[in-house]
Amino acid sequence: MIFSSIEFLLLFLPIFLLCYRLSPDKIKNVVLLAGSLIFYALGEPRYLALLMVSILVNYITALHLEQSARQKGKDKRQKKSKYEKRRRRLFFAAIIGNIGILIFFKAVSGEAELPLGISFYTFQMLSYLIDVYRGEQRRETSFVRLATYVTMFPQLISGPIVSYGEVRDSLQRRKFSAETLEEGMKVFTVGLTFKVLLADRLGLLWHDVQVTGFESISTPLAWLAAIAYSMKIYFDFYGYSLMAVGLGRVLGFELPENFRMPYMARSVRDFYRRWHITLGRWFCRYVYIPLGGNRMGELRTVCNLLAVWMLTAIWHGGTANFLIWGMLLWLLIVFERQLSALGFDRIFQKGPLKVIPHLYLWIVIPVTWVCFAVGDVSQLQIYLGRMFGTVEAVSVGAGDWAKALQNYRYLLGIGVIACTPVLQKGYKRWKDNIFCKLILVTLFWLCVWRLQVEGQNPFMYFRF
Amino acid sequence: MKFWKKWSYLILMAAAGFLYLSCVDKWQVYAKPLEQVKALYLELSGKNGDYVTEESGNGASAGSDSMPEQEAAEPVQSGTEPGMEPGQSDAEEGQTGNSAGQSETVPGQPGQETTAAGEEAAEPVYTTVEDDYFADAVFIGDSRTVGMYEYGGLENVSTFYASTGLTVYKLFDSDIVQVPGQKKKITVEEALQQNSFAKIYLMIGINEMGTGTVETFTEKYREVLEHLQELQPDAIIYIQAIMKVTTERSNQGDYINNEGIIARNEELEKLADNRKIFYLDVNPLICDETGGMVESYTFDGVHLKAQYIQIWKDFLKQHAIY
Repeated sequence: MIFSSIEFLLLFLPIFLLCYRLSPDKIKNVVLLAGSLIFYALGEPRYLALLMVSILVNYITALHLEQSARQKGKDKRQKKSKYEKRRRRLFFAAIIGNIGILIFFKAVSGEAELPLGISFYTFQMLSYLIDVYRGEQRRETSFVRLATYVTMFPQLISGPIVSYGEVRDSLQRRKFSAETLEEGMKVFTVGLTFKVLLADRLGLLWHDVQVTGFESISTPLAWLAAIAYSMKIYFDFYGYSLMAVGLGRVLGFELPENFRMPYMARSVRDFYRRWHITLGRWFCRYVYIPLGGNRMGELRTVCNLLAVWMLTAIWHGGTANFLIWGMLLWLLIVFERQLSALGFDRIFQKGPLKVIPHLYLWIVIPVTWVCFAVGDVSQLQIYLGRMFGTVEAVSVGAGDWAKALQNYRYLLGIGVIACTPVLQKGYKRWKDNIFCKLILVTLFWLCVWRLQVEGQNPFMYFRF
Repeated sequence: MKFWKKWSYLILMAAAGFLYLSCVDKWQVYAKPLEQVKALYLELSGKNGDYVTEESGNGASAGSDSMPEQEAAEPVQSGTEPGMEPGQSDAEEGQTGNSAGQSETVPGQPGQETTAAGEEAAEPVYTTVEDDYFADAVFIGDSRTVGMYEYGGLENVSTFYASTGLTVYKLFDSDIVQVPGQKKKITVEEALQQNSFAKIYLMIGINEMGTGTVETFTEKYREVLEHLQELQPDAIIYIQAIMKVTTERSNQGDYINNEGIIARNEELEKLADNRKIFYLDVNPLICDETGGMVESYTFDGVHLKAQYIQIWKDFLKQHAIY
């Protein structure tokens, strides 16, 4: 089940919230766990068992992973090292097991066949195991609490990737009040609007270009569509993350934010500190820093970055185009590191030159997104060729880009504004204003209406 | 006041929801699942038998209610059906038999046409032409024709009355024709009254597959042809076979499938009289051995990519009537 569906918005969510509200605090976790499992099963009943078994095994494993502080007696040292060895072996077995399942499904089944949310919940479980092993988190003795953490429906399917420490206290005791409910629903509404009214509709321009065929688009249209796709993927994912954070707040959790104005970044490095923050954080904590991070010389740092970006690409899908995407980002990041080592940063700090890093970002990021979007490498070559005018076009429609701009100018305009901090500042300032509330309410039901129209007629957009 | 302050957003949300569901949705969101639950409950709770008889009783009474209508519609159907079968089998044998079948399937046509049918037994003679042939042509159709307009290179030569989602049912009433210098668009009907054309190309029929049957579609198409002839008595009309979709798209399980397209095309072929109305089928040129559109020619399985529109255009240029 996805958030932007009539079944979720008008059936699941109200019914669940009612049950959740009415249930006493003691069993709120059980209600949330049950609700989340139903939520998962409604989307994909087949892999519910896999999810449950995976949680159970990891729960038991983690119970044995904790460093024992109670080792006493004369043969303490020997015992401890024996215990340590066993703990270590168990730890590696658990890591390999979890990753093995993920790789198995990624390799065997296509991206569409993947068990729902497996990339996300596997990473979440791994973070828990590693934290317990390192002694950064105490093991969780309650199965219900651990299972609630992993399956909690706001973040089960597409993140954010929450670490256990962030919700541990809330799982014990949390507030479910009118304020959090209202705050959460407002954030949820903003996310829903981004998804339904911006992402889905900007995506149509990208779809149009695919129907036309990349050989037959003009260079300006290739850029326009790449920009539209860049916005679509942002509002799609950002909208989803906002919905997750909002729902989390409704339930009484503080989920971590996943995006922080990425298109306002001034370098690719900066961009990926603002984009899908919880994934970047995961790789930083559990791969980059254990490998040595940037503390072991430039060459080693570059290699560590390569490892991180390889893994990021594989995590996203592992097909050739994702590898190209990851390697391109790696190259750009290495390039930026060298530039800033040479002191170029300072030149672009002040004055009118400040705009150059922004322009650079707005040019390179759409190019990387095209690599992300086009699965077929020969098609990707054609698209990039059209962007840079190196591939001859076949039967291009005259003024195709002007037509597209004409059709999508308002959407693109709103999208650009929504990428800047303007909206967020306005929201922060006026969110308690009655007019702002009215606008949000209207947007919510507008989204519902759009979803219904599309639901009744799936070819609303794709009529022939 | 405090209560309002605390709950204002949710109250607004619920109020707006109430308004929306009452006015727009008529509470269907909840009514439908409730009915399903009720049906399930009745089925499970041993009332099974009663429920079914009740239902069938309903069905029967509903049926008898609509009987008169059906009877009214019947003559048309029974009139077409006997003629259809020989027509179909003949179609496989050749054009000659087809047009013979044609004369039977069109009971409503004037007698002179039926006698003329004998003369048109000969196959139409197509010639190859240049782009200027299309100068006095109008292309009417759905998004496929829009594709021809955008990428066929005829946008400055011919006239296009095409719009995404156009169907035979709304063909004349759709406001899709842009008049130079005017903001408001006019309908195809008005446009055809104001302009005259020597050739009319029709490519329409894929959007209609979700509604009605092959018969209702064919009937409507026939009406469209008759009305077109009234509006443009001198024009040659080309009925273009509905382009097939890829086999993959066809197997997706919704109403868009090649079996349906083939069934409709067979009927469309019979509407041609090879005198003023001709049937052109580009499908053999754009389909592979699986019988669907070539995968590499399309992204969505339905529309030719811009560069392959040329195949279609060349086909039309090679199948022109003077």
